[in-house]
Amino acid sequence: MSARQPRFNQHLLIDTTPLPDSIPKVQEVGSSSAPLLSASYFIGARCKAYNDDYMQCKTEANGKGEMDCLREGRKVTRCAGSVLEDVNKSCLDEFRKHWECLDNNNQQLWQCRKWERPLNSCVFEKLNLEKKIPGVPENETPVHLRKRQIFAHSIMTQ
Amino acid sequence: MGVPFEALLPYAVCIGMFGFSGATLSKIRAMQNGGKRARHSVDQWDRQMMDRDRRLTGFLRGQTDNVKAPAGFELSNPWRLERGYT
Repeated sequence: MSARQPRFNQHLLIDTTPLPDSIPKVQEVGSSSAPLLSASYFIGARCKAYNDDYMQCKTEANGKGEMDCLREGRKVTRCAGSVLEDVNKSCLDEFRKHWECLDNNNQQLWQCRKWERPLNSCVFEKLNLEKKIPGVPENETPVHLRKRQIFAHSIMTQ
Repeated sequence: MGVPFEALLPYAVCIGMFGFSGATLSKIRAMQNGGKRARHSVDQWDRQMMDRDRRLTGFLRGQTDNVKAPAGFELSNPWRLERGYT
């Protein structure tokens, strides 16, 4: 019989074998999607080198990156965990307000600029991490610094 | 001469009915989503992140900002299989 496309939606297998002891253990990041999105630009500001290393390793590994890039992956996880820990320690209230707003708004950053501005200023003062959007042309203000967000639903949350 | 309010009563009825059904639907959607607004235009990235949230918190829309994942989180991502034919 000719082969058909597999349909991987019928059965789940949870493999509880842990990794061998020769691989150093690192604690996974425990934040869910909204806090991670909120802190993503700060993680990018601090961990740019490790993230670029990991992405380069994965692109060059040609399919074997899952096993070959474990070392770079551990560095990425540890760095992201350190950024989240610092943000939790210093700016917890602004951080919580921002990601609760994101959670309510379909994870769209432009609906929640009102809570993003105090978070950005708090993180810049205490942790010296600045949110920069890469690839912005020179003569335009970045989207997160504009006064009017053209796609936001209400003017209260801009 | 006052405002002819009897002529505007049908409009009030229509707006009231639309408003009531809209409010009811939005309350039902909020109850289904844990008190939050529903997600729309969910693509594969969002589905994968919501699955990760469910593994972290137990709810599809649950959020947490812990730094460290709970024990067993590394192992809770299942392999998706299909039943074989023998």
